[in-house]
Amino acid sequence: MEKARISSLQLFLLITGFLFGSTLILNPATGAKNDGWLAILISGAGGTLLLAVYASIALLNPSKTLVEILRHRFGRVIGNIIAVLYIWYFIHLASLALRNFGSFIVTTTYPKTPLEVIVGIFVLVVMYAVNSGVEVIGRASEILVPFVPVIAVIISLGILTVHDFTAFLPVLENGISPVIKASLNLLTFPFGETIVFLMIFPHLNKRENLKKVSTLSALSATGLFLFIFFRDITVLGSHLIYQATFVPHLTSVLIPGINLEPLFNVNLIIGGSIKVVICMYAAVNGLDQLIGANDYRKFTTAVATFCVVLSIWVYENIFEMFDWAENIWLYYSIPFQIVIPLMLLFLSLIKKGNPAHEKSIE
Amino acid sequence: MFRKIKKRLRLGNQQDNIDTIYTGIDEPLPRNIERVKERLNEIFSECSDYIQREIVCGEDGCIRILVSYIEGLVDRSILNQDVVRPILDYFSSVEAQDKAKRVYQLIKERVISNNEVEEVQSMQQVVYKIVSGDAVLFVDGSKSALVVGVKAPQGRQVEEPDTEVSIRGPREGFVENLATNMVLIRKRIKTPNLKFEMMQLGIQTKTDICICYIKGIANEEIVKEVRKRVKKIRGDAILDTGYIEQYITDNRLTLFPIVGNSEKCDKLVAKLLEGRVAILCDGTPYVITVPHLFIESIQTSDDYYDHAFFASFMRVLRFLALLISNLLPAMYVALVSFHHTVIPFKLIITLAASRQGIPFSPFVEALLMLAAFELLREAGVRMPRTIGQALSIVGAIVLGEASVRAGIASNLMVIIIAITAICSFVVPPLIRATMLLRFVFLIAANFLGFLGISFVAVAVIIHLCRLRSFGIPYMAPFSPLTATDLKDSIIMVPIWAMITRPKILFQEDTRGTVGIKRREVNKIGEG
Repeated sequence: MEKARISSLQLFLLITGFLFGSTLILNPATGAKNDGWLAILISGAGGTLLLAVYASIALLNPSKTLVEILRHRFGRVIGNIIAVLYIWYFIHLASLALRNFGSFIVTTTYPKTPLEVIVGIFVLVVMYAVNSGVEVIGRASEILVPFVPVIAVIISLGILTVHDFTAFLPVLENGISPVIKASLNLLTFPFGETIVFLMIFPHLNKRENLKKVSTLSALSATGLFLFIFFRDITVLGSHLIYQATFVPHLTSVLIPGINLEPLFNVNLIIGGSIKVVICMYAAVNGLDQLIGANDYRKFTTAVATFCVVLSIWVYENIFEMFDWAENIWLYYSIPFQIVIPLMLLFLSLIKKGNPAHEKSIE
Repeated sequence: MFRKIKKRLRLGNQQDNIDTIYTGIDEPLPRNIERVKERLNEIFSECSDYIQREIVCGEDGCIRILVSYIEGLVDRSILNQDVVRPILDYFSSVEAQDKAKRVYQLIKERVISNNEVEEVQSMQQVVYKIVSGDAVLFVDGSKSALVVGVKAPQGRQVEEPDTEVSIRGPREGFVENLATNMVLIRKRIKTPNLKFEMMQLGIQTKTDICICYIKGIANEEIVKEVRKRVKKIRGDAILDTGYIEQYITDNRLTLFPIVGNSEKCDKLVAKLLEGRVAILCDGTPYVITVPHLFIESIQTSDDYYDHAFFASFMRVLRFLALLISNLLPAMYVALVSFHHTVIPFKLIITLAASRQGIPFSPFVEALLMLAAFELLREAGVRMPRTIGQALSIVGAIVLGEASVRAGIASNLMVIIIAITAICSFVVPPLIRATMLLRFVFLIAANFLGFLGISFVAVAVIIHLCRLRSFGIPYMAPFSPLTATDLKDSIIMVPIWAMITRPKILFQEDTRGTVGIKRREVNKIGEG
């Protein structure tokens, strides 16, 4: 493991930046139409809980990354197998985020540029960040992440004149089931994806702050989601929000008199790059610890290249992407995001009070 | 590729021994004055500036003294007044002494009326003292020689530096003479805690280097690190602190200045008082300071002498100017070639009108104009001052006006390049970094519009966050966020509210990070 340390503020910004990540492009609560805010609230609560679970796992296994925890708790063989699955999951996550990002850019602004070019150049920046180490990623987040809410506020202020403040009424027009479905979606994307932070938590310099930081970041992300949702629904109305592909983008285009699209792109690159960087960092570090190579930088180029290929190959077109995000992602993610972490927490809690057992494993 | 070059450099360095030029004369002094004379003549053969003078005195010439020095480096009137005349006077009146030892002691303790007298035993030291401007006295029959400090004052007077002009505040700037510079600093900080550590660098030049810091204020770890890195320098010559800067920097492949330099005394003293370490070098008025952070580039000494409101406003302006000089041409190209929709309708008509009939794409147009501007700037720096006016007229009128008339560049582009040019001079320490980055941004904008600019911007920010100056993160106090240090960043508080020194220079984990960097520096050194 790298001997780098990040501060509580940096971790907070990384988690919030990660949560904004692709959510700035895709609004996953669209399934619930004008009850999206309910879905966001429910999933926000669930997400906070999930992050608390992850934080507890990290606290019960001090200074161990996910791969080490898995090996420690499940034994060498099973632990390694699950670790390989997790590394695959992180690589997949990185590719999906890359694809989301690339598709968005190609669809909205650069229709004639091939997806490969955009994703490829984006990955170069990501590789540079990953190779710089977690300390640099943390420090860069201190400069970059504050842009995200600031730009969101700027766009909202610009659009103040076209608000229809009653758009989110009536409440629960279509019953509770779309809300539940949407909130489950939102729970696995983006909240559950923070499982990658189990690779980063050990770098935190003040371990006692971990729970506070993760809870706070989940709450503030929920706050910003709500804010963006209310902005979008009051501007677009429930029909448009259900049908539009890239909801927040559509909102920013509607600002009267001026086009702030480039500003939105900046926002996107920041959010997207933080998400991809963290997933890729977790993947290469996991690989490194699995193999015991002592320098994760050796894997970055290979994993990054693989991610580019995977991100282009994974979906035929943008509709498949949405279909996957809405219907399959949920079931694919639950074992990684909920089942295994809960098992880990359970095992860690049981073996906590038994120091003799700990010794025998070590 | 760089690794290979490094390797070659390293091999080259190892083959040279520091004392190559002195190895041939590593010997004790001969007792016989004739042999000393012979040997020195051999060493200084074909050195027409080398002077030897033999003094013979006492009864029947039993006392023989040899004085050696380099013409011009020694103040001859002081030498005569302090050394030659007292010797002649003393030994003409005193009874002859036949013991050379006694003569030597007498000269050392009673005769020479100069404060700076030193004894040396080896030929190597003698030669070094002669070439560095001291006079050396040999007494026949003695096995050591006397070095008398009679250096002539060299170089120019203390005057206001040209490169860093301030409206208010002290006007004294450093000069080429190291001793004068040390006096200038000592004059302002009257404490014995102000330390000057001397050493010699450069195999041929043997340049005097001085590490300067305030004990108790400067971070000991950083001082230690500076000492260590400076001692590692191997090279033929140190002609300017720029040489040292390139050797001791943390990251050798960056556009940004991670070692600061200044010519202004008050600025340097302020930096010393903040806890930074300065390195002075004989022969140059530029003094370097470490650690140097990004924020220092937009600070000026005027800020602290003026009211904090104005200073803060100026800093915001400088920061904006920095952004504009980096991004404006790229933004223009991105807007015109990719994002017409972003431009308000009325403006787009003006724009289209001004671009009508221009044969080049906006990118090529911007590239040409920027290249012309950089050429003008470089020409302005290189040529004699007297023709400067002519050049600026040619630049402004012929290139600006005529190119628009001829339909080669649009009016708007000329305005944009002019604004960029003005802004680029607002933050002098970053001129070179922005000069290159501007082109990078421009090319990125031509390929991917705002997206390209954003990519490059994110990469630059990651690079900035990656940089460290002597273990201190370059982007502090912004990242890592150091709340107490924000008082002297873009928004500045009045001087009476600045009650703490920069905390970042003393961060708890400095030891750890310096340790990491040290290993990396070793790696660079060892290939």
